[in-house]
Amino acid sequence: MPRSSHPLVSMLVVALLLIPAALRADAPTFQEIEESLTCQCGCGLTVHSCNHLGCGSALPLRAEIREQMSQGKDKPAILAHFVEKYGEKILSSPTTKGFNLTAWVTPFALVALGGTFVIFTLMRWRSRSHVQRSGTPADPHASAQTEYEKILERELKEFDT
Amino acid sequence: MEVGALALTIGLVCAAYSVAMSLAGGFLRRRDWVASAEHAAYATWGLTLIAVAWLLNALVSHDFNMEYVASYSSTTLPWNYTVTALWGGQQGSLLFWLLILTSVTAVVLLQNRERNRDLMPYVTAVLMTTSVFFLVLLNFVTPPFQRLAFTPAEGRDLNPLLQNYWMQIHPPSLYIGFVSCAVPFAFGIAALVTGKLGDVWIRTTRRWTLFAWFFLSLGNLFGAEWAYLVLGWGGYWAWDPVENAAFMPWLTCTAFLHSVMIQEKKNMLKVWNMVLVILTFLLTIFGTFLTRSGVISSVHSFTQSGLGPFFIGFLAIAAVISLALLLWRLPQLKSENELDSLVSRESTFLFNNLVLVGIAFAVFWGTVFPVLSEWVRGVKITVGPPFFNKVNAPLGLILLFLTGVGPLIAWRRAGWQSVRRNLVPPFAVGFASGVVLLAAGMRSYWGLISFPTAVFVLAGIVMEYYRGVRARQAVIGENPLVALVHLIGKNRRRYGGYIIHIGVVMMFAAITGTSVFKQEQQVTLSTSQTFAIGGYTLRYDGIEQESTPHIAYLRAKITVLQGDKVVDVLKPEKRFYKKPEQPTTEVAIRSTLGADLYLVLGSFDDATQLATFLAYVNPLVSFLWWGGVVIALGTVITMLPGGVTARETAMAAGRFGDRVVVE
Repeated sequence: MPRSSHPLVSMLVVALLLIPAALRADAPTFQEIEESLTCQCGCGLTVHSCNHLGCGSALPLRAEIREQMSQGKDKPAILAHFVEKYGEKILSSPTTKGFNLTAWVTPFALVALGGTFVIFTLMRWRSRSHVQRSGTPADPHASAQTEYEKILERELKEFDT
Repeated sequence: MEVGALALTIGLVCAAYSVAMSLAGGFLRRRDWVASAEHAAYATWGLTLIAVAWLLNALVSHDFNMEYVASYSSTTLPWNYTVTALWGGQQGSLLFWLLILTSVTAVVLLQNRERNRDLMPYVTAVLMTTSVFFLVLLNFVTPPFQRLAFTPAEGRDLNPLLQNYWMQIHPPSLYIGFVSCAVPFAFGIAALVTGKLGDVWIRTTRRWTLFAWFFLSLGNLFGAEWAYLVLGWGGYWAWDPVENAAFMPWLTCTAFLHSVMIQEKKNMLKVWNMVLVILTFLLTIFGTFLTRSGVISSVHSFTQSGLGPFFIGFLAIAAVISLALLLWRLPQLKSENELDSLVSRESTFLFNNLVLVGIAFAVFWGTVFPVLSEWVRGVKITVGPPFFNKVNAPLGLILLFLTGVGPLIAWRRAGWQSVRRNLVPPFAVGFASGVVLLAAGMRSYWGLISFPTAVFVLAGIVMEYYRGVRARQAVIGENPLVALVHLIGKNRRRYGGYIIHIGVVMMFAAITGTSVFKQEQQVTLSTSQTFAIGGYTLRYDGIEQESTPHIAYLRAKITVLQGDKVVDVLKPEKRFYKKPEQPTTEVAIRSTLGADLYLVLGSFDDATQLATFLAYVNPLVSFLWWGGVVIALGTVITMLPGGVTARETAMAAGRFGDRVVVE
């Protein structure tokens, strides 16, 4: 990599080193569990976000979360309790097991696949451009073309908006 | 027969005639047939207008014998909501949609009376086929002019959640956005049919695409504002299927607006641009399918019905025909694409497209995954906001970063020296802002990535403006303000685009602020008790009650203090609509640039006089709305005709390097 790109790279590396240091590593909280569960009142929101005070679903669920937490259970155990009792639809996100894993993986896999395709396409286009630029030695017009292309190149560079 | 219904029936005949004649005229090169088809399209517009006027008249004259009027209005409904009840129910909203579609068609036909005559038969056919679809629904499946066997004394009224200012402008904006996406689609299909695959159709539809994007943006934003004010949960976007339905075409339309520049400048990406245009149109139909079908439950689906199969059928036919045409023309569309360097504006645009389409796919995938899960496993699951936030946040941040990088990388080829010159200063400013935030105590992972990235993008834009203004000052001797105005005026597309980017940055700041730093509290208070949140002390000063024939109000009075100083008085309400009997929440907001204090009256116990409140402090949320205003401003500038000529640009670049524009 040319020397000229070093300041950018250095700043990026420092940024990446600093950010993890700033991460919080708090234990799961009541709110986190609330946000992992969907309110069943039809509002489409998580138990945490449901604002129907007196909601027939969110209120009992909150009480149940407190009761589960008071038993000293960790987050997976509490969520497992709710899934067993209400079914998987109680979770606000798909699990990361079995078929549900595809929910999480597919968008990123597709972007990664698309990214690879874009990179290969760009490389193909660039190599095509280089091949055309080099011309063929047997071509009697090659030198004229090269001269013309040089002018075109310069003008296009200047034309950049 | 009802005049409105008769108008729709004749309208269907006219629309079908228009499709048949435009196709026949196009294929057999009969100009008179094509002209006749266009006249039939104008007639369809006129007849739709008559049908809309008939329904509006029934609404404002409280003709409760008409089922629609009895279902969605009442004598006590304020006149403005009586008018907007036109799209408050299913039949009315489809009719309103048809009115916009036929109006857009009429404008397109008028614009192209002397232009694009080889494309126009097929453009007319595509637009009018869509009209035929809606007219079939309105004539045979869900007719708006049904009469009741008796005349009720009073109507059932409009859903109270729709009786809101933003609901008066959110659906029209979104419909205009959705419908306008049909114009580039129609021209794209016409280009495929005729084989005229150059950039004529692209240039013809550029403003229409911007117009569609503008209204899709506004529609999404107005919907968010409505959700923020009406649903009362302190948020504005819940990744509800209907919200997603409006968001997906916006994403693909945004991708198209960027990638189309590569086709215009370098005649590349013809296939990809065609794919994006088709995809955007199909997503608008898919969005309507989601709203109407009831396949996926949504809090926004006020007008669900069994229309799903019709929409899915239309969607499938449109997809198959578009795909077949695309495959047929693939050999002609494939261009000998070339790229001088991997580091170029073209590359950043391709990655920008990848991420935008990636986000659109993630939203689509999350929206349909519950249905997919039920098919595959037979298990009902929920894909809620946490999923969408987790998947889209990293992709959104990459997009934000590319928003900053793209404008700073030159077209065709950017040498490392120019990359360093253009990227290092804004990157340094962004980095410094991150250090400052860290030193100031910010410990949120997302905050520490998002805000500095936003600052980086902003710094890049400021630098671009600064260079341009300085160049004008040096050459023409203008003062900085005049130079700035002329700079924008002379290259509206570029500098208007930067203004749109500023709006996007503001929105990202708002999304980060409200996602990461939101505060909330639920309290139950008796009169004169106080509680503190976000630097405010809030004192509950009692309840007022008021009743009108339409609504009964329960209004709490909350005095907002900062220290000992009274800075505001907020009055959150509970409203009890009398027809239909339904309570709603009317939030009270103290809005400042830094944060909103958002107050909800949850409940009130008459016996104990205790009131329960939900209070939220939403940092930077006003940036979302102001960001929308900035985006609107930028889009209007971009759409304005005129600007700098290529020669002027080239001359300016020759004198001042590669990145300035002067007269």
